[in-house]
Amino acid sequence: MLSNESNPNSKELLKMTGIHKYFGKVHSLINVDFKIDEGENVGLVGDNGAGKSTLIKVISGYHKAEKGKIYFKGKEVRISSPKDSRALGIETVYQDQALAPDLSISRNIFMGREPVVALGFLKKKVMDEESMDALKNIGLYLKSPNITISTLSGGERQGVSIARAIHFKAKLVILDEPTAALSVKEVREVLEFVNQLKRNGIAVIFITHNLYHIFSIADRIVVLSHGEKLADIKKKDTNVDDLSELILRGTIG
Amino acid sequence: MKNVENRNKKFLGSFINVSSLGAIGIFLVLITLLAIFIPGHNFIRPDNIKNLLSYGAEFAIIVLGAGLLMIAGEFDLSVGSVLAFCSFIFVKLFSLGINPFLVAIITIICGAVIGMINGLITTKGKILSLVATLGTMMFWRGITVVVSGGEMMPSDTSEFKFFTSIFNGKIKNFFPSQALWLILFAIILGFILHRHKFGNWIFSAGDNERAARSMAINTDRVKIICFIIVGLLVAFVAIIQTVRLAAFSSRSGTGLELEVVAAAVVGGTSLRGGKGNMLGIFIGAFIIVIIKNAFVLARLPYELTYIAFALMIMFSVLLDLLIENSRKKFV
Repeated sequence: MLSNESNPNSKELLKMTGIHKYFGKVHSLINVDFKIDEGENVGLVGDNGAGKSTLIKVISGYHKAEKGKIYFKGKEVRISSPKDSRALGIETVYQDQALAPDLSISRNIFMGREPVVALGFLKKKVMDEESMDALKNIGLYLKSPNITISTLSGGERQGVSIARAIHFKAKLVILDEPTAALSVKEVREVLEFVNQLKRNGIAVIFITHNLYHIFSIADRIVVLSHGEKLADIKKKDTNVDDLSELILRGTIG
Repeated sequence: MKNVENRNKKFLGSFINVSSLGAIGIFLVLITLLAIFIPGHNFIRPDNIKNLLSYGAEFAIIVLGAGLLMIAGEFDLSVGSVLAFCSFIFVKLFSLGINPFLVAIITIICGAVIGMINGLITTKGKILSLVATLGTMMFWRGITVVVSGGEMMPSDTSEFKFFTSIFNGKIKNFFPSQALWLILFAIILGFILHRHKFGNWIFSAGDNERAARSMAINTDRVKIICFIIVGLLVAFVAIIQTVRLAAFSSRSGTGLELEVVAAAVVGGTSLRGGKGNMLGIFIGAFIIVIIKNAFVLARLPYELTYIAFALMIMFSVLLDLLIENSRKKFV
């Protein structure tokens, strides 16, 4: 199960052991182990309520696990807020929670990390130029850094979030259902952006219901069911049919 | 609409957007109509303009703060009650013979503390600001009436000439100092909102609080600071008003919250937060002031203004909904 076995040169980026998460009486995550190497692309699947969102929220600091340990680059860490996970270089791209629709691209990319001069005043020119560069870097060409996010398509919005992660030198990017509700063309764009992440040496955790999307980019697939880890397989050791069978069995069983 | 927005952004920079252009338009149309149609040209008489600038500026100062808070996604309905309470504090302390500058500082601190309480109830108490400040509105009004006995109290600061001129003076016997304070606050808050990182946090917190939080912005702190700014400005205006009227009235500020929200909304501030600009808020305030003035000059009962402002707010909500729905169709 250790991906280090097949590639002894790959370095472990994130390791979580014995994670338990409760919401009141609901045991959302039950003794979950999870790991991902630098530059690795892991697909996280499982039916609704399996615990996928909860797991990534623990990684990104939005929730705190009641039990378990987290290691980043071999050192034990405590992630108790989004600030902590961001400091480690973990960026999360949520469905609706990543961008502010009425703000410009420039303001969104630098949200919370604005470049400033003395007294905290914005370096607008720097923001505008660097945000356009960040987008071009992943192959997204947009008119101006001042157009609002609400004018962009779903695929373009994901592009902005991903460009932001790359720009701030994320080491791990978590994508929560990035291709949901997108057209075929947009899905292709987004998957290409995700490939850009890989080319930049950034590890990716990718939650989705669409197994075909996972198969086109993931190295490894982790299946969750009812809060537990059901399987952890390398893509080359399985296929879409077997995987969906596994998930289905997990849901019923 | 997309192209118009982009062109405007290029021409006019970061301080304006489409909706504030609307406000400027309404403003120009209004003053033209009033200048022509109010009988006896009473509208454009220097006396009237002087008065407008005085209490108009007082009103507008509060709208600046309230608008900022609305962009952050919260409301403060307690402004009218806090105005009355701060006015009472000022008059009471001044009547004890304390130096008016010291009294002013204490009053302003009171305003800040009251604002902070509003902020804490909303963010830490997790109560909708609309509800929380409805409660504090009643609370502070109640306290004010009880401690003042519901009566008016005179307060003459005229022997402190310098103090009085700061808050209610006139430059060249025309331009009121209130208007100067308004311009100063508008410039400061405008720069903070549009050119400072804290302004970006205000917009972010109001537009998508979850996104802001996941980008490690402390949205609670941002909102509390905005509430404190409102409290500070309300206290400041309370001092100005008390000096100008040379009295305290426990009824002062009644209905203010409605007018303040209407002003911000007319100025292009979204009721849902995340959208708005300082210029629009500034103009929106004066539109409301002018409408009130028009009603007075036309000898219409001031209760009618309540109807006018309520309709403006409702219209703005509907417009907002329409835009939201049409946006959903495109995306």
